[in-house]
This record gives sequence, C-alpha cells and structure tokens, in this order.
Amino acid sequence: MRALRMSYIVASVAGVLFFVLSVTLLGVWPARVLQEQSRNMAPENPLGLTRSEMRGRAIYAREGCAYCHTQQVRFTEADMKRFGAPTLAWETRLDYPHLWGTRRIGPDLSRQYQTHPADWHFAHLYSPRSVVADSVMPTYRALFNGAPDQPTQEARDLVSYLDSLGRARELAGPEGEARARKGCNCPDDEMPQMAFHSAVINANAGKARREGPTPALPGNGDIVRGRELYQHNCASCHGPRGHGDGAAGSLRPLPADLSEHQYSPARLSFVLENGVAGTAMPAWRDWSLDDRAAVAAALRELSVGQPEPGIPPATLELGARVYRDNCAQCHGMNGGGDGSAVPELRIVPANLQGVRPTLAQSIRVLRNGIEGTQMAVWTGRLSEAELSAVAYYVRGFYQGEPR
Amino acid sequence: MYAHGLAAVLMLFVSMTFGLLAGTQLLLPDLGAGVSWMTWGRLRYDHTQGILFGWLTNAFLAFLYHAVPVLTGRPVLSARLGQWLFGLWNFAVVIPGWLLVLAGFSQPLEWAEFPLVTDAFVILALLLAAIQFLPAFFTKGLEDLYVSSWYVLGGLIFTLFAYPMGNLVPEFLPGAQGAAFSGLWIHDAVGLYVTPLALAIIYYVIPAASRRPIYSHFLSMLGFWLLFFLYPLNGTHHYVYSVIPMSAQIGAITASALLGLDVILVVTNLLLSLRGSGYLARDIPLRFVATGTVFYLLVSIQGSLQAQMAINRAVHFSDWVIGHSHLAMLGFATFAAAGGIAHAWQRIPWARYNRRAMTWSYWLLVTGVLLMVPHLTLAGLAEARLWQSGAPWLESVRAAQLHWLVRVLSAIPLFAGFIAFLIGLVTGPRGAGLAEIETAIGLEPVEHVSPRLAEAS
Ligand code: HEC
Ligand code: HEC
Ligand code: HEC
Repeated sequence: MRALRMSYIVASVAGVLFFVLSVTLLGVWPARVLQEQSRNMAPENPLGLTRSEMRGRAIYAREGCAYCHTQQVRFTEADMKRFGAPTLAWETRLDYPHLWGTRRIGPDLSRQYQTHPADWHFAHLYSPRSVVADSVMPTYRALFNGAPDQPTQEARDLVSYLDSLGRARELAGPEGEARARKGCNCPDDEMPQMAFHSAVINANAGKARREGPTPALPGNGDIVRGRELYQHNCASCHGPRGHGDGAAGSLRPLPADLSEHQYSPARLSFVLENGVAGTAMPAWRDWSLDDRAAVAAALRELSVGQPEPGIPPATLELGARVYRDNCAQCHGMNGGGDGSAVPELRIVPANLQGVRPTLAQSIRVLRNGIEGTQMAVWTGRLSEAELSAVAYYVRGFYQGEPR
Repeated sequence: MYAHGLAAVLMLFVSMTFGLLAGTQLLLPDLGAGVSWMTWGRLRYDHTQGILFGWLTNAFLAFLYHAVPVLTGRPVLSARLGQWLFGLWNFAVVIPGWLLVLAGFSQPLEWAEFPLVTDAFVILALLLAAIQFLPAFFTKGLEDLYVSSWYVLGGLIFTLFAYPMGNLVPEFLPGAQGAAFSGLWIHDAVGLYVTPLALAIIYYVIPAASRRPIYSHFLSMLGFWLLFFLYPLNGTHHYVYSVIPMSAQIGAITASALLGLDVILVVTNLLLSLRGSGYLARDIPLRFVATGTVFYLLVSIQGSLQAQMAINRAVHFSDWVIGHSHLAMLGFATFAAAGGIAHAWQRIPWARYNRRAMTWSYWLLVTGVLLMVPHLTLAGLAEARLWQSGAPWLESVRAAQLHWLVRVLSAIPLFAGFIAFLIGLVTGPRGAGLAEIETAIGLEPVEHVSPRLAEAS
C-alpha cells in the first residue's frame, strides 16, 4: 500500500516535470535563443513604429485581421517566391502580442510596405470588392465617416500600420542583410542561409514599380478569356465597359478611362508587368503571359476608335512650341514620360509614346488636370488656341500600331 | 449538473451561430457590413471561445458532477460552491467575454481571444473547479484511481498552469518569443484540457454503458502517461518553417509523430473494450462516445501527419487545418461531451432523455461532420496546390468557395442535430413509472457501475 502511494507521488511529480520540460524546451529555451538572435541580427538602428502605427496595430489585433492574414513569411520556396524574405525574429520585436497568425484566407501581410498606396487601402478597407471584385475580405465601414475618402483617425492609423509592415527590414537594405548574416553566424544552417539569399525583401506580385522589364506578350490573345479576366479583375476599378467608372470612385488618380485611350502593346505589357507606381493600379506579375495577352486583347476592344482629323501645320507648330515650353520637362522631349523633372514626381507623367488619349480626353485633361497627380490645370496659363494645339500635338508621339 | 448541461447546449447554439455567420460571410462578405460587432474577426473570436468555454467546458462540468461522485464514492465539495462556479463561469466568463470581444476588447491569440480581464475570471473559475472536484479524489485516496480520474486530475491541474502561460506570456514577450509560448498553448488547450476531459468521459462511459471493464487497465495507464508526456511537447508544430529554433521544431514534430502512435494505442484499447458488447446499437450515449473515439483516432493521425515537414509545407495555413480543428472539436470532443451529457442525463431520475430525438440527433450530427470535414480538407488541398503553383492569390479563394458553401450547408444537419439533442434532453419521460423506464433503458445502480471503473487489481 505504501509502495503504491509512493508510486502515485512519483507519478504526479513526473507529470509536473513533463509539463515543465515542455515549457522549458519549447518555450523558455527557444525564447532565449530568439531574443539573442533578435539582438544580434537586427540592424544598428531599426526603425520603430510611430504612435499612429501602434494604434493601427491595436485595431489590426482587435478586428482579427491576423485570422485571415499571417505576418510570418515562412522559410519555404513557395512563401519566398510569393511574399519575399522570410520573417526574422528581430522584425517582430515590437509585437506585443505577436500577430503571426495560423491561417491564410488572404495573403501574408508582413511585406506590405509600399505595396499599395493609401487611396487603395482606404477603398479596400471600406469596400474590398470595389477594388478586388472577387475578394472575400470583410468590409470595415465602421472605420469611415460614410465614404471611402472620409477615413476616421482609426482608418488612417490602420493604413499607416499596414504600410509599416516590413519597412524596417527594407530600409536596413543590403547592409542590414549583411549584418543579420553576420549576427546569425550560421553558415551551415540551411534555413537562414536560404533567407539571406532571397532576391528581394518584398516579392509581392501586385506591387507597382516605376521601372521594370517589358516582356513580349504572345501575339493574339484569347479574347473570350480576356473579357472574363477583365470582368473579374479590372472592371471593379475601370468599369464594366472601361469608362473608368467602376466601384472605386474614391481613388486618386481615378482609374484610367480605357475607352478614351489607345495603348501600344509595349505599354500594356509594361503596365501589366509593373503597374502604375504611385497609383492604385497594381501590377499583375503573377499572371501568365497568355493571360496578359488575353486581357490586352480585351482592352483593345474597349477603346473607341476616332477618325483622325487632318491637322494644319501651323497648329502643329504652335502645339510643338507650347509643348516644348510647358510640358517637356515632365513628359520629355519625345513624349516618353522621361523629362528632367521626373525624379521629383510622385507619379510618372504619361508616356505619350505608349498611350494616346483621344482628342477630347487630351483637352479634358488640360482643362481639368488629373487629380492625385502633378498634371495641373492649364486653362489659366494657356489660351484656348494653345490648349487645343498642344492637345493635337501630343497625340503625335504615339508609337503603337496606327488606328 | 442539469444547469451546466442546459447552459452547455444553449451556448453551443450561440457559438455555432457565430461560426455560421463567419462561415456565411466568406460567401457573402458584405453580410453585416458596417456593423462593427458583426465583422468577421470578432465573430470568429467568439466562435472558438464559445465552443471551448461555453459549450465544452459547461459540458465537462456537467459530466464531472455526475462522474466524480461515482468515481470516488464521495460527493463533490459543495452545492453552494457549485452555484458560484456556474454563475462565475457563465456570467463572468463566457457571456461578458463574448460581449467584450464584440465590442472590440480582445487579444489576437488563438484559443485566448477573450481579453485579459476575462482571463482573471477564467483562472478563478478553474481554481474553484479544482476545489470543487479534486478533494473528492484525494479523500478517497489515490490507491485505486480509475483512469478517468487521472484524466480529470491531469486536465484540471495542468490547465491551471497552461492557461496563464498561453494568455499572459505573449503579452509580455515580443513577437517570435511570445509565439513560441502561444504555440504551446494552442496545443495545450486541446491537448491538456479538452482531450483529457473528453477522454475521461470516454473512459467512463464505455465501461459504464457496455457493462464490462475496460480491455486493459495497463494500456489505459500507459496511454495516459504517454499522452501527458507527449502532448505538451507538440506545441511548436504550429510554427514549422518559422524562425523558432529548428531543434525545437524538430522536437515537436517528432513528439507529434509519437503522439499519433500513442493515440492508436489508446483508441485500440477503447475499441477493444467495446468489441462485441452489443450495447452500441442500444445505448445512444455509448454510440456518441464510440464515434467520438473513432474521430479521435482520425484526427490524431491527421495531426501527426500534418506536423511532418513535407506535408506541413503545403497544407499549413489552409482550410485543411480548419477541417482538422473541426474534426477535433466537433468530431471528437463534441461527440464525447454529448455522449457524456446524455449518459449522465439518463441517470438523473427527474430528467432522462428522449430516445427518438437522441437517435435523430446522432445521425444528423454524424452527417454534419462528414459533410464539413472532408470538404474543408478538399478546400485545403486545392489551396495548397495553388499556393505552391504561384498562381494569383485569388485563385485559391475562388477554388475554396464551393467547399465553403458545403461547410455552410453542413450547418443545417448540425443545427438540426443539436436541436434534436436539446429536445431529447428536455422531453424525456420523467416522473412516474421511473422503475419501468429504468428497466427499459437497462439502468443499473451505481454500486454496479463503480467496480468496473476501478483499477483491475
Ligand atoms: C475573412 C478574411 C479576411 C479578413 C478578416 C481580413 N482580410 Fe484582408 N484580405 C483577405 C483576402 C481574401 C484578401 C485578398 C483579396 C484582396 O486583396 O482583397 C485580402 C487582402 C488584403 C490586403 C492586400 C494584400 C496584398 O498584398 O494585396 C490587405 C492590405 C489586407 N487584406 C488588409 C487587411 C486588414 C488590415 C484586415 C483587418 C482589418 C484584414 N485584411 C482582414 C481576407 C481577409
Ligand atoms: C484598384 C483599381 C484598379 C484595378 C483593379 C485595375 N486598375 Fe488599371 N488603373 C487604375 C488606376 C488608378 C490607373 C492609373 C490612372 C492614372 O495613371 O492616372 C490605372 C491605369 C491603367 C492603365 C493605363 C496605364 C497607363 O499607362 O496610363 C491600363 C492600361 C490599365 N489600368 C489596365 C488595367 C487592367 C488590364 C486591369 C486588370 C487586369 C486593371 N487595370 C485593373 C486602377 C486599377
Ligand atoms: C509637373 C509635371 C507635368 C507637366 C509640366 C505636364 N504634365 Fe501632363 N502629366 C503629368 C502627370 C504626372 C500625368 C499623369 C500620369 C498618370 O496619370 O499616370 C500627366 C498626364 C498627361 C496626359 C495623359 C492624360 C491621360 O488621359 O492619360 C496628357 C495628355 C498630358 N499629361 C499632357 C500634358 C501637356 C500637354 C502638358 C503641357 C501643357 C503637360 N502634360 C504638362 C505631369 C505633367
């Protein structure tokens, strides 16, 4: 009997030990290793979070964003290809509590920094379907005063938080990566090494960029597939018929009116590969070239043809002069969107070699400007004659197929 | 007991409604748009917390009130304390927890979504539960504890440790460090709380209802100790391929594989005890419990597999895992708990269940689980394939949609099943003619039950 009793005591002690063992081996010890890693591998002065970003973090936690979005890029090929560099311990040093998440209905968000502009985020939070037609993300209208361009402070905080995700890592740059590699001091450890060789920190296929390749698209895109792709992916912004009148009316600049423009194949290819940086127009790098060719075919169908008016030489000359004096520093001498002022501009000026607006559109733009870009209103500065002359003139840069 | 049983089922409906709303929102994402408490995240928090605290915990408590006196031959500590515990649990933990989450006070930690204030009451209530139930075991003397008692002891005591670890530590340790503890708790919530108590029910009901002792007490004890050794060591498998040290990950993955083997052992022992007893067809609670046992086997094998790196690489983050958790909580734990309540109900002289309603309930619930879990698994596989392929993200969302529809539809049999269960609980024959009922259902006095639950000595 006594022995039995003893054995129960031994057993109970063992039980407690098991638990303590698990906490030590899988909790305390890893936490210490991680703390050390965090210290050794962080950049010298990693950028922290502002007050507003901290508040945004709390909103993110409160709304359960982490139950559809992870903030943990894993050390796997698929994750690295899709999202970018795997999450290191030091990147999470400000997360009390952590927001790693264990389910992805939406994509990982740890590399959101500069992936979408604020107008996109606001429209997306207010009504995800207005920018991503097939999204299942919930709407967060309670964060707005009734409209996507009327965000409350909470919405602003949340968006600034989203835009901070991955920032410290990105800003640490190559020196930061080198420091991490040194701090890790793990040349034989396969996983971290993998991370150090990741090509980019942010691999998001939708992130727009100003410069990038222009892959050649296959010649004749499948128009039926193209129309379907268009309706599922583009119509929410550009409108069902491409008039730029989709559900996302709060974006600035507004989505382009595709019916009022002609796009060269090269321009379309560039835009689909790289998006339009600084605007809500995302890139579509994760699409196959066939799909891109298909949607390009569907776009051509949307653009309305216009009879080209004969232009008197005197008008063209006036147009050229006005252009040289007023427009070339932005749009470039040959209309390539590559004038000397471009590095200063948030949004690259229209590349008129690849985009030809209709005459009416050109005049409209000169009269009204393009809200959300530095393309100004010209009515005060140019006479009516000059205005229409330059509107004619800029259409001549186009280098796509003739219409 | 009666109160906890009914509270359990009522809260189950609330929790399921949260789940159903959240599930439906994945198909109709604008449902409830603009109503902040109706946003998906908050419903999702309340769904799982409701299942864990509202449904399962109430069900477990109900069962303990029935089982502890039988197991120990002693009453629980105090009826007064019982009322306090009931009030505290339901009116200071579950209901305020739900409301706080809906109002926007919560923490983004899995199985720990109720805010910190609520945690204080949870711990207090767990302490009260320990005070209520444990002394009976100790005064009885530990010499001839039946395995169910071990599980009850283990479950109650270790949850007292594990709960604060999972709920508090990540609030004070940053990011990855906190996540290491979170992973432990995610698993301990299931492994050190739900599983032991569900197994306690299973180990109790099988011999009590099938009128034979458990097949092997030695295997029971071996299973118990292995379980308590291995379960806590599993936690890190929730973060495979993360920055958490690889040796910890590998350790957890190995423990996960061993755990699967252990569960095979446990379940074999349980099923062998049932073999040819002939009570399965007649005794509905037993049928619930036996089905729960089979789900337990399936879910554990699945768990061991999905912890392995090659599989985890693909299916982690997908609906496969959601299927897994429903198989665990809805298949295993809920069937055990429902069986436990029904079994105990039959033994409250003035309650009893309605046999027809219970039979309906059983079949409806089985249908629901068998609709939902395979479809979530298929959705997970489709998502995994698309994620690996580099296709645009939305493809995976579109691919899941059909399965999400089936999941929502599976709510029909599930709701119907639990309504039948509730009807079964409240419309049973009662009062007069007790003796007749007792012979009809083959009830036997406690003195006959107890010996079967004793250690074979
Ligand atoms: C029900 C699941 C769900 C919840 C909850 C959710 N999202 Fe999403 N989210 C998605 C899905 C699906 C997508 C992909 C489609 C899209 O872009 O809308 C997405 C996309 C995003 C994107 C764009 C990612 C990218 O790289 O393009 C951001 C940013 C985002 N969500 C932020 C949030 C925030 C902030 C919250 C919490 C306030 C949140 N999400 C809550 C499902 C969800
Ligand atoms: C989130 C809203 C949104 C979606 C979705 C969207 N666009 Fe855009 N798109 C814009 C905005 C904003 C602009 C930029 C307008 C500007 O530059 O002034 C734009 C510009 C364009 C342009 C003109 C580029 C140029 O060089 O001027 C093309 C072509 C285009 N989009 C095609 C597409 C196609 C094809 C799709 C679908 C695959 C698509 N867009 C989806 C918002 C969107
Ligand atoms: C400060 C720099 C700047 C100057 C100066 C400027 N533009 Fe622009 N222009 C832009 C930007 C930026 C855009 C918008 C690009 C976009 O929306 O993506 C633009 C767009 C345009 C477009 C395209 C409209 C469309 O529908 O796509 C036309 C046409 C145009 N500008 C003509 C002119 C003309 C003519 C002048 C001179 C009278 C001029 N711009 C001067 C910056 C400038």
